This record gives sequence, structure tokens and C-alpha cells, in this order.
Amino acid sequence: MTITLAEVAEKTAVYLAAKWQCQVDVTNIMKIFGGASRETYRLEVVADGNSRGLILRRDPPTSLIDTERELEYGAYAAIYPTDIPVPEPLFLENDTSIMQQPFSIMAAVDGAVTDVTTLNEEQKGLIGREKWQLLGSLAMKDPIGLGFDEFMEVPELDQCAAKQLAYWEKVILEDEIHPQSIAHAAIRWLKNNLPPPAQKLSVVHGDYRSGNFLFDPAAGIKAVLDWEMCHLGDPLEDLAWSLDPLWSWAEPENAGGLLPPGEAIRLWEESSGLALDPGVFKWWRVFASLKGLAIWISSSEDFQNGEGKDSILAMAGWLMTDRQNQILLNYLSPHSVGEWKGGIT
Amino acid sequence: MIPNTDSALRMLSQRLMMQLLPDIKSEYNLSDGMLLSMLMMAVADEVATGIDTRMKDIAEMKGLLEQGRGYHDAGNLISAEPDSFSLKDVNQLHDDLTRHLIELHARVETAGTSEASQLVGDIWSYLEAYTARHAITSLG
Repeated sequence: MTITLAEVAEKTAVYLAAKWQCQVDVTNIMKIFGGASRETYRLEVVADGNSRGLILRRDPPTSLIDTERELEYGAYAAIYPTDIPVPEPLFLENDTSIMQQPFSIMAAVDGAVTDVTTLNEEQKGLIGREKWQLLGSLAMKDPIGLGFDEFMEVPELDQCAAKQLAYWEKVILEDEIHPQSIAHAAIRWLKNNLPPPAQKLSVVHGDYRSGNFLFDPAAGIKAVLDWEMCHLGDPLEDLAWSLDPLWSWAEPENAGGLLPPGEAIRLWEESSGLALDPGVFKWWRVFASLKGLAIWISSSEDFQNGEGKDSILAMAGWLMTDRQNQILLNYLSPHSVGEWKGGIT
Repeated sequence: MIPNTDSALRMLSQRLMMQLLPDIKSEYNLSDGMLLSMLMMAVADEVATGIDTRMKDIAEMKGLLEQGRGYHDAGNLISAEPDSFSLKDVNQLHDDLTRHLIELHARVETAGTSEASQLVGDIWSYLEAYTARHAITSLG
């Protein structure tokens, strides 16, 4: 079901007027490209004479990541009062009669960008340091104290790895259009080498990478976005995902295009107070790539068989599957020289 | 009729990117159009070499399954040919062989013999060759 920009603007104005009990006018609206899990719109509204920017995220018929919007919105609401910057969550609406699909509305973060490829070396250092310090800060938080247990499953420490592996294995088995030899080899390796229990239970962002935060190049990170894969688990999961070579394809020496992996890990350890065991971390690095592969396989399936024919699903399903296979080969093949391990065993 | 479909697709992609997209006003549609143009380039590569690439995979997988008969029997598939050289039929045989290769890989990993270890290495060599053959170079 498609919806025009004008319809989104009109329906949002009516919706907000009812919520805020005042006249609301949408003065500008644009659809943002690249919202792979939600349709994302940027709006300028005038409410009661005051102008403000908003982000509206509407569920598409299919998405790259099959997410549960309540969990995502709950994560934003729980994190918002902490030192981790996130956009202010305003409304979650599950009633499909309003805009055909559920949607959420958040405050826009002004004066910020997401593309790290335009940064100079000094700016990369600034943003990179903050990126992994914030991730460490997220890792050290008590998820129960933040109320995450009220809307998320709380896994046992010795089940964090196995549960995540089981989840993503199921995605691959259900969605692989063609049998994926490398994915199956990785699944076997991960099952045979399960790590010890997590050091602590943490809030895992689930997609912590360059591109999923807004920053001012001179002032630092202003908001961490895209919490749709947020869950409770082992904090090493986020660290491994943030260091996956996929996020630094054009600049492999810098994790996420920002900092050398070793420095990122040091900052994370300092900030979280946790220690990284390289042997255990290898498991999470292989897992991170398998999870990536599962997402790309799933997006391919969505593109081929689903309602959504968004070009980004095709791109992810094709190009990213290819690259993630190369990364897993690099990690697991007995012939690999391991140049993408970034000095991490 | 377009005899050289792959080069025709590349030309159409270039026309889209160089001549049509610059006039698009919507930032969203411009980004979408650029992605479509790049995907057309990748499709062009598939049109040009996709069947050949898969037939090479098929020949190598048959060799591995023949080698691994003692660990996993792929039956008559080892000598099977695609029903035609259409992408659909070639993909079908490729998928069938891949399923057996996954099974063989799992079995030789735990077999514990030197022959099985050698086969494990050979399967990984195939996966490396497969990945190199299918690497997408036109998408950046």
C-alpha cells in the first residue's frame, strides 16, 4: 500500500492536532532515502505558533529487518533519559486506520549528518572516540534498572550467544532462496565453539555502526539511531558488530571508517570497565558477520518474494551478501591469511 | 532484438545515470534512481557471465561430491546436467548440488580422517573460488 507525501503530511497534521489539542500545520515534508526497515519522513510542523522538526517512521509492507516497533520505541524511551543521546520519542501509533501502517514520531535532530566519509582526520578521531565511548557506556548500564525487562526478554547470561545464534540461523533457514554454503559452515563453527557466559547482561543496540548515528563534525555525536534490533545480551555483540569489516570496506584500516580497531576496543574497555578476551571475541566477530549475512539473505528474499520492491533491498541482498561471504571466508577458511581480522585474533 | 544484451543494459544504465537522473528534483528519487542504475550494471554482468560462472561451480561441486562419495552420497546428481541452459534450470542444478555439498562439508568436518581433512580444505578452496567468481565488481 503506497501513500503520497501529501497524504502523510495531511494525516500527520490531523493526528498531531488531536494529540496536542491545537492547530498543527505541516510546512515541509520530504521522504528520506535509505530507511531500510521503515519509511522515514522529515517534517517541519507549526503547532500553536511554534515551529519544530519531526521524524515520522512508518512501517512498510516489508522491510530489510523484521522488527517489532514496540520494542524499538520502548528502547528509545528507556535510553532517552540517559547519557546516550537519542531523539526524543513522541508517539507510537499502532492503529492502521490512520496511515495504513503503524508509525512512530520523534523529534528531529537538527544540524547533524550521518556520512563519515566526508570527515577529515581530526573529525574522524573525535567522532570515533565518542562512538566507542558511548558504546562502552551503553554496555555498562544496568538494563533492568532502565526498565528494559518490562518490554524485552531477559536471557540468562549463559544463553545470550546461543539465543542470538538460534534466531539468526532460523532467519537464514527460512529466507535463503539459494542454499548458502558459507553461512552453513559458519553456523556449524559457531555452534561448535559457543563462548562462555556473558560478563554481564547489557542493552545491545543491535545495529551500532557508522551510518546509524547523527553527528556534528565539530561537536560530536548528537543522536544514536535505529534501535529496531535492540535486545538484551552480551555487550561483546555490539562491539563485534561495530568492528565488522563490512562497515569499513573502502578503508579497512579504520573500523567504521573512523578509528583503528585496536583503539576502538581500548576506548570501549575504558568506558565500559569490561575486559575483552580475544578468544571469546572471535566468536562474536564471526557471529556479527553471520548476522549480517542473515539480514542480507532476508532482504534478498523480501525483494524477490515480498511486496516491497525497494532498490535498497536488492542492493543489500546482492552486494552485501557477496561482501559478507568474503569476510566469513577470511575468518574461517584454513587458507585465509586473515587480513581483515584487524589485528584481533 | 538486442544481440549483446549485457552491453545494451550497461548503455541504458549509463543513460539513466548521466542523462535522466540529473533532471530529477526529488532527492529520494535521485538516490533510488542511482541505485537502480548501479543494479542494472550488476545485472548486465550476470547476463554476460552468469551461466558460465554457475557451470564452473557445478563442475567443481561434482568433483568434490565424487571425491566425497564415502562420506555422503549425492546419487545420480554427480553426473546430472541442467535441463537447459536457461538461468532457471542451471540455478536448479546448482542449488541441488550445493545442498549436497553443504551436507558433505558437515560430514567431513567431523570424520577425523586425513582424507576427510583434505576434503575439508578442498571444499573451502571451492568456496573461495566460488566467492571470487561471484564477486560483484560493478557496484563499487
